[in-house]
Amino acid sequence: MTAAALLQSVIASLPEIVVVTGACILLILGQLVRKGQEHFFVSASIAIVLVAALATLMLANEVRPAYSGMFIADRFAVFFKLVFYLATILTFLLSRKFADIEGIASSEYYVLLLFALFGMMIMASATDLLSIYVGLELMVLCTYVLTGFMRRERRSNEAALKYVILGAVSTGIFLYGVSLVYGLTGTTQLDAMARAVTGDPLDPGLLLAVVFIVAGLVFKVGAVPFHMWLPDVYEGAPTTITAFMSVGPKAAGFAVILRVFLNPLVAASDAWIIVAVIAVVTMALGSFVALVQDNFKRLLAYSSIAHAGFAIFGVVAGGQDGIASVMLYMLIYAFMNLGIFGAVIMMRNGDFSGEVIEDYAGFAKLHPGLALLMLIYLFSLAGIPPTAGFFAKFYVLVALVERGFVTLAVIAVLLSAVAAYFYIRIVMVIYMREPERAFEPALTPMVRATLAFTALGTIGIGLFPAWFLGLAQQSASGG
Amino acid sequence: MGFPLLSLIIFTPAAGAAVLMFLRSDDAVRWTALVVTVLDLVFSIVLLAGFDTTTHEMQFTETVPWVPALGITYALGVDGISALFVFLTALLSWISVLASWVAIERKLKAFMASLLAMQALMLGVFSSLDLFLFYVFWEAMLIPMYLIIGVWGGEGRVYAAFKFFLYTLAGSLLFLVGVIALYFHGGETFDILALTAQDLPFGVQSWLFFAFLIAFAVKVPMVPVHTWLPDAHVQAPTAGSIILAGVLLKMGAYGFLRFSLPMLPEASVYFSPLMLALSALAIVYGGLLALAQDDLKKLVAYSSISHMGFVTMGIFALNIRGLEGGILQMFNHGVTTGALFLFVGLIYERTHTRSIADYGGLMKVAPVYTVFLALFTLSSMALPGTNSFVGELLVLSGGFAANLAVGAAAVLGATLGAAYLLGMYRRVALGPPSVGARFKIRDVNAREMVAILPLAVFVLWVGLYPKPFLDIIDASVTHLLTQVHGRENGQ
Repeated sequence: MTAAALLQSVIASLPEIVVVTGACILLILGQLVRKGQEHFFVSASIAIVLVAALATLMLANEVRPAYSGMFIADRFAVFFKLVFYLATILTFLLSRKFADIEGIASSEYYVLLLFALFGMMIMASATDLLSIYVGLELMVLCTYVLTGFMRRERRSNEAALKYVILGAVSTGIFLYGVSLVYGLTGTTQLDAMARAVTGDPLDPGLLLAVVFIVAGLVFKVGAVPFHMWLPDVYEGAPTTITAFMSVGPKAAGFAVILRVFLNPLVAASDAWIIVAVIAVVTMALGSFVALVQDNFKRLLAYSSIAHAGFAIFGVVAGGQDGIASVMLYMLIYAFMNLGIFGAVIMMRNGDFSGEVIEDYAGFAKLHPGLALLMLIYLFSLAGIPPTAGFFAKFYVLVALVERGFVTLAVIAVLLSAVAAYFYIRIVMVIYMREPERAFEPALTPMVRATLAFTALGTIGIGLFPAWFLGLAQQSASGG
Repeated sequence: MGFPLLSLIIFTPAAGAAVLMFLRSDDAVRWTALVVTVLDLVFSIVLLAGFDTTTHEMQFTETVPWVPALGITYALGVDGISALFVFLTALLSWISVLASWVAIERKLKAFMASLLAMQALMLGVFSSLDLFLFYVFWEAMLIPMYLIIGVWGGEGRVYAAFKFFLYTLAGSLLFLVGVIALYFHGGETFDILALTAQDLPFGVQSWLFFAFLIAFAVKVPMVPVHTWLPDAHVQAPTAGSIILAGVLLKMGAYGFLRFSLPMLPEASVYFSPLMLALSALAIVYGGLLALAQDDLKKLVAYSSISHMGFVTMGIFALNIRGLEGGILQMFNHGVTTGALFLFVGLIYERTHTRSIADYGGLMKVAPVYTVFLALFTLSSMALPGTNSFVGELLVLSGGFAANLAVGAAAVLGATLGAAYLLGMYRRVALGPPSVGARFKIRDVNAREMVAILPLAVFVLWVGLYPKPFLDIIDASVTHLLTQVHGRENGQ
């Protein structure tokens, strides 16, 4: 690698370098800052992410391959990185008060989130199965630790342990798939792989490799049949981390899936049938099991499985609209899901956990404004216009019907009617019950800002989707 | 593009709902809501006054690009059919505010805001010229209506609200897939007029017809997907029932008129016998169910199913008398059934019972109430001189022309109507005053009179001189028929 190429690579990966350097500095500072001063880390971390975002936007004007084909900074990556920044910053904002209440405020908490962000950014930009692996592992290692961050809580420990074991297995499966690909094609680069197999009838060995890689990735987005870890981990992890995991790592998983799946290697196979089956089963399982949940976090876990299923329909559709629809879905999902998690996090105060749906009975009577916000998020998650959630689903359906998958579209809408039931059941509890207690939501200015911002996004993208749609479409076309 | 009158009509109540959020006292909320709805009614009268009845072209059109990448525009416009329903919506919304004046005892602000939001969305449905925009308005209505039924309804409100929500959602979502399929078959546009001009293959038309039918049939509602209606009506507060019966049910029929007939003409003709049969079934079945009810609200609700059967029968008779009668009957049903729900609400506020068995001899204690009740009851059973007579007569003559058996079934239904309505009136208003002994019943007051009178005026106006109303829709209906039959004959 020449010096000039190295310089180019450094420039292309400037945002990543900013994040990882910042995280390392914070790690050192964490040893120097006195106990009780941890709030400094919230603003410092946000500043780091904002600088990275600025760097990303400045570099967004052209495609920059880097590190000998391991890495690329293109618009596709930029879009996902913006979603990651959004998720991370909002998680920081939600964390400050929550970390105090739970007693988990420490510098490591923020540093680990930054490292997870770094891993996700690598995933979005990776163009080689090995760099994908590095990003993936970095991200999940951080989330393993964060899941178990409430050290004295049994649930949190249990969740972390389950997550580590299952995560390790899935990573092993993924790596095995990568090794098969390398054995058969002699390369792990996505483009080179595509060139190696063009024209030939697909080698059954390669199909096996694809299945292994699919299995490894599907685990990360929590799709059936690799979803078992998700409800337990979501329930056990600190709620802020659950919020983060439901948006950031999930979007990162989809970034990789899109890169790998929409590559000619997979397009040549009939892998879309497998993916279609995964989509249907995932959505069905998420929707039906969520119907009987009483725990809010568990319900949101199954809801996130259902949403992953819907997004996978976009992957099935493929093509430019299919890719763009998944990307737009992830952006919109980030707004509405962080919004509803923000509401759950705000309810956690004192001894009150706010994790059971019944805890919200009559909430509208005492806090009409906050209840209205929750109403917006919930109807958006259910996909009712004029909220953004509707447009996200609409665009996936457009992509599906465009490809002629009308039956899949019908299945998707019927399952989302099932899913609507459990969202409006929460609305019912909030609005149509009598309050049994006084609520004291932990409403700091930061939480307020998060809620306002996510609500604005949920309504704003719903009413004026054109710009966001254009952004997703442009980013999907690579270039 | 001139003055955006339609946008003004749609967004006045929406803005009103936003303003309500900042008001503190209940009285301010009531009066603001009233002022907003009256203002909107005035705007809709201005719309009708400026409406050119000689053309079927869309009028007061507005077009603003919304999502150009997908060919979605914010396009509004009205023809004769939609103009009539814009007016009906504005009229009934205003009456709903009056009907909720004292009936809503808690969370009045949120209620009025939901009501106004509902009004804006309904007006949007009737004025949309873009299929996507239409769908957004159509589906968004679920949110305020769910709250209106679920928060302010009777004891079984939660169940009723769920049922209403899920029924309509399931229907609408299939409609959505149909809409997207239509988008790709019709040249990647959501423009309703452009889609109407498309000539789709019969196979595609048939599938789309059923996708649309599910959504519209649930809203109308047609038998056998009507079971949400009695629950929703009985549990909803009075204003909710008025809006439901007066406007929401019309949207299903409006969907047939705006989409199924002009866009899928061959399928509409092909499946019209099925639709006629379902209509006849609804007329008779709804009538029989109404005959068996003891609950006043349930009786009116089931009578709605029967009456909406007349509407769909008129539409799918696919001739000029049937169509004009069907549309006029949509308007009439809005006025008359809206009034009947208002009357049930008025008496319920006083006695807190809806059981017909609890009443009797109301004539003696509340004479004004019973006189007007008689007027609307007679209107509902289509007595000559009232609005429904004109509509039903046209529908029957259209129905007989289309199919003798169906026409005969409709006549049977009309007879049933006379039976249950007169039976209800006799048991409530006549006889010894049993209820007066148990309840102190006052007659209608001035505020209630203000809500009743306009409806009474329309009952008699349409009944005695329907020409202005038929004139409004005439050009559009004629054009619609050429769209349906013209293309069919051309092939």
